[in-house]
Amino acid sequence: MARGFKRRDGRYVARLDAVERGLVVGLMEQVLELVSPEGDDAGMPRGPGEGDEFDRIVAGLGGVGMGVSLSAADQAGEDVGPAPDAGERDPALDRIFPTANRQDEQVAAEFRRLTEEGLRSRKSANLTTAIAALAEPDDQKVSLDHDQALALVVALTDVRLVLGERLGLKHDDDVAVLEEQASGLDEDDPTVYALAVYDFLTWLQETLTQALTR
Amino acid sequence: MSIAPVEQESVSSLEETEVDVPWITLVWNDPVNLMSYVTFVFQSYFGYPKAKAERLMLDVHTKGRAVVSNGTRERMETDTEALQGYGLWATFQKDD
Repeated sequence: MARGFKRRDGRYVARLDAVERGLVVGLMEQVLELVSPEGDDAGMPRGPGEGDEFDRIVAGLGGVGMGVSLSAADQAGEDVGPAPDAGERDPALDRIFPTANRQDEQVAAEFRRLTEEGLRSRKSANLTTAIAALAEPDDQKVSLDHDQALALVVALTDVRLVLGERLGLKHDDDVAVLEEQASGLDEDDPTVYALAVYDFLTWLQETLTQALTR
Repeated sequence: MSIAPVEQESVSSLEETEVDVPWITLVWNDPVNLMSYVTFVFQSYFGYPKAKAERLMLDVHTKGRAVVSNGTRERMETDTEALQGYGLWATFQKDD
């Protein structure tokens, strides 16, 4: 049973078993692949067809037909594998790197040109730090220093942003609506699973944020 | 107080538009980011006191957006980039 983060003697301590850590690390690796600077494939062993938690969550959502909005790219992903079509920007990237000026397209484009590679590099470095921090322990105790805790709280945000986009979350009450819709579904339905994962990540991030705030 | 001649005023307001009009950084509401986390980011990045950070967070949450900083365009671009780095939905624009 997982125990959330608490601050103890200047460290951030939680209890996560191997399955829980593996789940979070697997999701962070997926997001790392998504945000890594374009053309930088070093250290990205995952390819189409390997299929992990995130792929299964994302792929599974397409068949649910319960108002979950999915992009064309995601729909296609069900048939041809997780690799996005060349030239088509993953909508999750538009959430992680949102249009930065809503009044002037040129200003927004210039900002993206000047900042996106740097943001991608920093997010990649941050995710790598968080992955390493969670991969370390060989028992259930996770103990992070301040920098690792900061990296993880931001990494959890990135993962939840991508998962939230995949779940079609647009408004504040969408999670509650989805949960109500999912309550009638089978326990091993992909949406039920995705929501459980999302809730777990939300809970974990909340405890870490509280620990960092104190 | 006096009123400047019309011609001069229009010249000076044009210049102001180009040079002096301040820019703002906005944070927009989204369904994913946690209220506690948004507050934490405003405290850590801007160094705002907790009360101010919480007020801004509540503005984002209830009004859909809040102006979180203002200043030069360059400064607002820096803030926007940093806040996007934290995963917040940040934009910058002229303060019209």
